Amino acid sequence: MEKFAHYLTTGWLLEGIVFTLQLTLYGFAGGLLLGLLLAAAQLTRFRPLTFVARAYVVIYRGTPLILQMVFVFTALPHVGISLPPLMAASVALAMNEAAFFAEIFRSGVRAVDPGQLAAARALGLAPKVVAMKVVLPQVARMSVPALGNEAIATMKNSALASIIAVPELTLRTQQLTSATFDYFSIYFSTAVMYLALTGVLTLVQLLVEDALNLDRTTRRSVLSRLVPLQREAPSAPLIASVRPSQPPGPRTIGAPLIRLAGVRKSYGAHTIFDGVDLEIRAGEVVALLGRSGSGKSTLLRMVNGLEDADAGAITVAGMVVGRDDRGRRLTERQAAEQRKLLGIGMVFQHFNLFSHLSARANVSGPLCWTGTPKVDADATAEALLAQVGMAGRADALPRRLSGGQQQRVGIARALAMNPRVLLLDEPTSALDPELVAEVLDVIRGLAHHEGLTMIIATHQLGFAKEVADRVVFMADGHVVEEGPAAEVIEAPSHEITSRFMNAMRAAEV
Amino acid sequence: MTSRRTAAVRAIGILLCAVAALAGCSSTTDAGKPAASSEYADVANSPACTQLRQQHPNLVGKTMTNALNPYTPGYETVDPNDPGRYQGFDIDLGNAIGACLGFSVDYVSVGFSELIPTVSSGRADWILSNLYATKERAQGGVDFVSYSKVFDGILVKNGNPKKITGIDTSLCGLTVALNKGYVEVPLVDAVGPKCEAQGKPAPTTSLFDNSSDCVQAILAGRADAYMNDVNTVNRYIAEHSQDLASADTVMLDYTIGIGVPKNNHDFRDALVGAVTEIQSTGLQGKLAAKWKLDQNAVAQPTVLSAG
Repeated sequence: MEKFAHYLTTGWLLEGIVFTLQLTLYGFAGGLLLGLLLAAAQLTRFRPLTFVARAYVVIYRGTPLILQMVFVFTALPHVGISLPPLMAASVALAMNEAAFFAEIFRSGVRAVDPGQLAAARALGLAPKVVAMKVVLPQVARMSVPALGNEAIATMKNSALASIIAVPELTLRTQQLTSATFDYFSIYFSTAVMYLALTGVLTLVQLLVEDALNLDRTTRRSVLSRLVPLQREAPSAPLIASVRPSQPPGPRTIGAPLIRLAGVRKSYGAHTIFDGVDLEIRAGEVVALLGRSGSGKSTLLRMVNGLEDADAGAITVAGMVVGRDDRGRRLTERQAAEQRKLLGIGMVFQHFNLFSHLSARANVSGPLCWTGTPKVDADATAEALLAQVGMAGRADALPRRLSGGQQQRVGIARALAMNPRVLLLDEPTSALDPELVAEVLDVIRGLAHHEGLTMIIATHQLGFAKEVADRVVFMADGHVVEEGPAAEVIEAPSHEITSRFMNAMRAAEV
Repeated sequence: MTSRRTAAVRAIGILLCAVAALAGCSSTTDAGKPAASSEYADVANSPACTQLRQQHPNLVGKTMTNALNPYTPGYETVDPNDPGRYQGFDIDLGNAIGACLGFSVDYVSVGFSELIPTVSSGRADWILSNLYATKERAQGGVDFVSYSKVFDGILVKNGNPKKITGIDTSLCGLTVALNKGYVEVPLVDAVGPKCEAQGKPAPTTSLFDNSSDCVQAILAGRADAYMNDVNTVNRYIAEHSQDLASADTVMLDYTIGIGVPKNNHDFRDALVGAVTEIQSTGLQGKLAAKWKLDQNAVAQPTVLSAG
């Protein structure tokens, strides 16, 4: 016991900790940076880069770290690269860790809900903004436990640097046991030192996890109490309303705004559209009806460029969606600018709210990210949330809201970008029956708001009849029938339309 | 009590230094600065060494880095009282050679298998680390200048319960602990076919990174025998006299050699001259006695080269 205490306080062993900490720090930080690059390279569409990054991960994950250390230490000097032992070991550690970091980040990115990415694109956010504001925060939060693991693994792996002359803790332990024959007391005291170091790393991991915990609403995290970071700006004064609700007045239907001409689309052998022509006028509210799988969602996604047509053209306000003046396909960034310019908002069947942001931030965030001052963005968010009846839950996370509440926030988010066209993709289909009414109420209010052009894919016949100026019925890749809502729903002229309406009415009863 | 508290305070101080070092100060080890060269003044001032310095002026005033595997008590380990320094027969011999040729010595401590790559890649200038000179090792890119003959001891449990008589068929079916990469590994492996010819199982080798791990394997009953330089073996027996004993001493057909990069003939020839002088004055024998290497037999310095 006395020997154990003696070695626990042996300065020479404690000095070894300095090297162990340096190796851990350099290995972890270097691995983190290189891992980010590798993950990014694997996620790009540029094939050669993906291949190189993939090959790197395979090689570095597939060979023992001890060989990589010896390689950097004794092989690289033959080609003129002679790093000092500490740097050689740090480089080897970082290069090895990078392969694991890359996989952690890649799996994090893959785990981000594709619906949220579609929603972000539909809001007209540039790819960089989507990456920084939607993907990165979620990946970072998801990765913390795995990164904590890697920090500890890096520290333990640093012991391998002992074979290439880095005088770290393990090397000194081995040297001392060889010189003194006090085998067990030295190894035990070294184990205690490692345990203390990894214990600190575990504590740091838990603090970071706590700081990033989204479910903490009332109390502040331990970390934020230590570091006075301002997490949220004081809420802006609530302005009365951005869009004062107007009494339903005479609605003006303007010139054709959206035009589909000979649009074809198929997924493999399955044809969705076989030459669709359709015109929608400014201010018009159109209900899109049809069986599941008749292409209603695909049509909406094509109108705002989330899907590409195989043939034909879709124009909004005279601009071809997803193409430039010369008919060339737009890049993601250009497409985002076009969406913003055209002002097309979208509401999704599964809401697709940004899960890491509160209801308020879901609405104000996209505004802030595109240049609106935070105070104005917050004010707009407050007003819109009030308009959809969600002012009281502005601070709640999406997963704490019911489906109907989430969809109302989704509508507020789409409205925040001040669209002239609003596409609603089966906005009530994922809701429990008792929650449908609250969402339809909100949409009804919007339909009466002058100027907003709306296309609503829906199965709600009664609602369609009430709010829509016109119904478009689709089947077998064509527009089968279109006309005033009451006419198409009550007295369809095609047999296939008639059968559908009867089936829907039977289901509603 | 007071001294323990002082130690604790010092420990905290060092930890604070550790944090400071992380913030940017570099931290290097001054391990094993050569002992005062005056210790070998007689050798340094001998006519032979004076002439050697004139013949090899490139070495004078230099610091030559010795690649060291400091896990062999008596030959090279850290100094337990001052672990920042190395001690042992090879350390003293290296300092004596340095005094003769006019250079000082510093050290880079590496794994046993990394000794030769470290020198052939230019990270160190020479190896003086109880390394047995073999043709296979020379092919790694070094020439050897021999200085000692090899006697191996066989370390066993007290009373030699398995009746081991040498590197022979008495090892059949037994487990032998050995240092990774040591010359004894192929010698023990070569016993295998002889055992099988007698219808017995071949010996199993258990390989470890350093001598103390091998000895722990014997103490823990994981291995039946361990072979290494007889002086090293005797040291372990002295340390664990209740538990360990020597089965036999075997002379191996090897010499212990100093490794130098194979193209550095100037350094190699200077070493031959210096070792010759140190042996002829009896200094090598005195150093062996100082480190209780009773079985150390001086070998004439000859050069072993892979060609």
